[in-house]
Amino acid sequence: MKRVLSLLLVVVMLLSMAACSKEAEKPATTPDAPAVAGNSGKVTIWAWDPNFNIAIMNEAKARYQKDNPNVEVEIVDIAKGDLEQKLHTNLASGVTAGLPDIVLIEDYNAQKYLQSYPGSFADLSGKVKHSDFVNYKVGLMTIDGKVYGVPFDTGASGFYYRSDYLEQAGYKHEDLVNITWNQFIEIGKKVKEKTGKKMFGFGLDDGGLMRVMLQSTNQWYFDKQGNINMANNEALKAAVKAYKDIVASDIIKPTSGWNEWVAAFNSGDTAAVVTGVWITGSIKAEASQSGKWKVAPTPRLDVAGAVNASNLGGSSWYVLESSKNKDVAVDFLNKVYAGDNDFYQKILIDRGAVGSYMPAQGGASYAADDAFFGGQKVYTDFSEWMKKIPSINYGLYTYEADSAIFSVMPDVYSGALSVEDALKKAEDQLKNQIGK
Amino acid sequence: MERASKKSFIKIQNRYGWFFVSFALVLLGIFLIYPILNSLYLSTTSTKGIVQKSVGLTNYVKLFKDQMFLTALKNTFIFFIIQVPIMLLLALALASILNDKSIKLRGVFRTAIFLPAVTSLVAYTVLFKMMFSLDGFINTILMNLHIIKDPIPWLMHPFWARVTVIIAMTWRWTGYNMVFYLSGLQNIPDEIYEAAEIDGASKLQQFFHITLPMLKPIIVFTSIMSTIGTLQLFDEPMNLSQGGVTGSTTGPGNSLLTMSVYIYNLCFKFMPNFGYAATVSYVVVFIVATLSIIQFRLAGERK
Repeated sequence: MKRVLSLLLVVVMLLSMAACSKEAEKPATTPDAPAVAGNSGKVTIWAWDPNFNIAIMNEAKARYQKDNPNVEVEIVDIAKGDLEQKLHTNLASGVTAGLPDIVLIEDYNAQKYLQSYPGSFADLSGKVKHSDFVNYKVGLMTIDGKVYGVPFDTGASGFYYRSDYLEQAGYKHEDLVNITWNQFIEIGKKVKEKTGKKMFGFGLDDGGLMRVMLQSTNQWYFDKQGNINMANNEALKAAVKAYKDIVASDIIKPTSGWNEWVAAFNSGDTAAVVTGVWITGSIKAEASQSGKWKVAPTPRLDVAGAVNASNLGGSSWYVLESSKNKDVAVDFLNKVYAGDNDFYQKILIDRGAVGSYMPAQGGASYAADDAFFGGQKVYTDFSEWMKKIPSINYGLYTYEADSAIFSVMPDVYSGALSVEDALKKAEDQLKNQIGK
Repeated sequence: MERASKKSFIKIQNRYGWFFVSFALVLLGIFLIYPILNSLYLSTTSTKGIVQKSVGLTNYVKLFKDQMFLTALKNTFIFFIIQVPIMLLLALALASILNDKSIKLRGVFRTAIFLPAVTSLVAYTVLFKMMFSLDGFINTILMNLHIIKDPIPWLMHPFWARVTVIIAMTWRWTGYNMVFYLSGLQNIPDEIYEAAEIDGASKLQQFFHITLPMLKPIIVFTSIMSTIGTLQLFDEPMNLSQGGVTGSTTGPGNSLLTMSVYIYNLCFKFMPNFGYAATVSYVVVFIVATLSIIQFRLAGERK
C-alpha cells in the first residue's frame, strides 16, 4: 500500500509539472480614464542591456524630467530572455498589475506580440509622427494600418574590417565596397594566406548572418502573405550555400555564443565582423585597436535584387494598453524619441546607437569623423545604408524558421544533405510545427 | 460544564481534524489539482498568446509528426540511456570503495565527490561551457599532453555536444547518488559480510550476492529519481548551447534539444502556444510514469 501511495505521490508531482504551463485567458480590458493633464505620475519601463538600452533610457529620462519634474520614471533592467518570458506570462494571465507602462521589444518579435495579445498594446497611430521614422521600422509595428510602437534603434549592418590586416593582404577600402559573399570568401582566403588570421568569428548554429543575407535580397523565410517560402526560395538557397562555403573555406574561427564571438575580434585573432551597427560599442571597447578599423557596406548575395545593405536586430518601444499613465508614457516617448534631435546626437556619440528617427540624421554627430575608424565618417555611411534596407515583414515565425533551418545545417556542412534537400526537410518540419 | 461522552468527543476531534486539514486541502485543490485538470484541458487547445481555439486531440496527433518534438524525444532518451547507467554504476562503485573502513581520509573523499551536487546548475554549466570551448582548458590540456592533435569541437559538433552534456551531468550528479548508496551500505549489518567471509565468499561474490540485493530499494529509488531528472533535463542543454535562449538551435543541429527545453521554446521563444506546450508536458508525464512503473516491476517490487 505504501508503495502504491508513494507511486501516486510521484505521479502527482509529475502532473504538477505539466500544470506549469500557463493558462491563457481573455484580456482584462481596463479602459482607464485618460485624464492626466499636468503630466505627473509614474512610468515604469522594462528593457535589457545596461550598456545600451538602459543607459539610453536613463538619458531620455533625465531629459524628460527637466520639463516634467513631477513624472517619476522607473527603468527596470531585465535580461532579454527573462523579459520576454515575464511579458508572455503576464500578458497571457490577463493580470495587468505586474506589467510596465513601456516595454522594449525586439523587431523580430514585434508581430508575434502584437498578434498574440491583441488589445494589449496601445495604438499609437496619430499620436506619434511615424513618418519621421525609417520606413522598414514602422512596417514592423503595423497591423491593419494601425501603428503600435515608437521605433528605436536600427540594426543597419556593416562589414567592419581591420584595415591593417586587409592592407597586408593587398586590399584597399575600394576593393571591399559593394562586394558579394563569394568575393568576401576569396578575400578571406587571401587574408588567411598573407596574415595567418582568420577572416571572422562565426557561430555554426547562429542564424544571425543568414538573416542579414536574406534581408539584403528583400526575401525572408516567408512570403509577403506570411506563407512559408523556403524550399523554392532562391535567396535562401544562396544564403545556405554561402554558409556552407564559408564553413568549408577555413576562413572562420568557430565560436559558440556571444562572449566567444566578441573575443574573436577583440583579441585581434580575426580580421572582420559583419553584423549590426550596435556592435560598434563592443569593437571600440578594445581601445588598443583604435585607428585600425574601417567599415564597408555589407556584402550581398549573388541573386537578383540583392543590395549591399541589410539589418540585424534592432528594437522598438511599446506602450501597454493597461498602463495607468498611458498619456504620460506616450508623451515621454513622443518628446524624447520622436522629437529630441539632440538626444539622438548624444546617444550616438556615447553609445553608438543609430536611431531610426530621420530628422536626427542630419545632426552634427552623424557627420563627425571617428578616429577609431581611421577618420571615417561611419555614421554618415550607416545612415546612408539604412535608407537602402529592404523593408521586410518578418511575420510571426522567424525563430521557428531559424530553428528549423539550423537543425539541418550540420548535415549541410558535412555534405550529408544537399542544400535543396535540407531546405525541403526544414520546410516540411516548419509546416507541421506552425500548421500552414 | 457539560461532560462530553466519549463518542461525541471523537466527533468533535474529527471535526477539528477536518477543520485543520481543510486549509491544506483547499490550497492543494487550488494550486495542484485545479492546474493539473486545467492544463489537461489546455492541451486540447491551440493558442496564439491569448487567442485560443479548441482543437480536440489534434495536438496529440500533430506531436507525433513534429520532427522537432521527435528530435527532443530522441535526445532526451540518448541522455537517459547513456548517462543514467554510467552515473549510477560510477556512484555505486565509488560508494562501495568509500565504504571500506580501511581507506584513509574517507570523509575528505566523500565530501569532495559530493561537493559538485551543491553547486548551482547554471553556475556549473557556464563553467563547463568555458572549459569545453574550442580554445578552452580541456582542449589545451589534451593538446599539451599530445593526446589529440586538433582541438575537439566540443560544443560545435552534434556528437561532441552530447558527450559534453553527459560528462557535465555525470560530474554534477554522481556524488549526489553516491550519498544515497553510502547511507544504504551503512544499513547493511557487518555480520552478514562476516558470515560470508567465514563461508569463503570472495569480495566480488559479497558485492553481487549481499550488497546489491540489500541495496535494491535504494537502487530503484535512485534510478527513478535519475529518470525523472533526465527527462526533465533543462539547465544543462540551455546553458551549454550557443547563445542559450537567443541561439537559433539548442546545441548544434538541435542536438541538445530536450523535451523541457522544447516546452520552454514553445512558450517563450516561439509563437507562444501554451496549449501545445501543455500537450508536450503531458507526454513527458506519461513517459516518466511508464518508465517508473517498468522500473518498479523490473525490481520485482510488486505488491
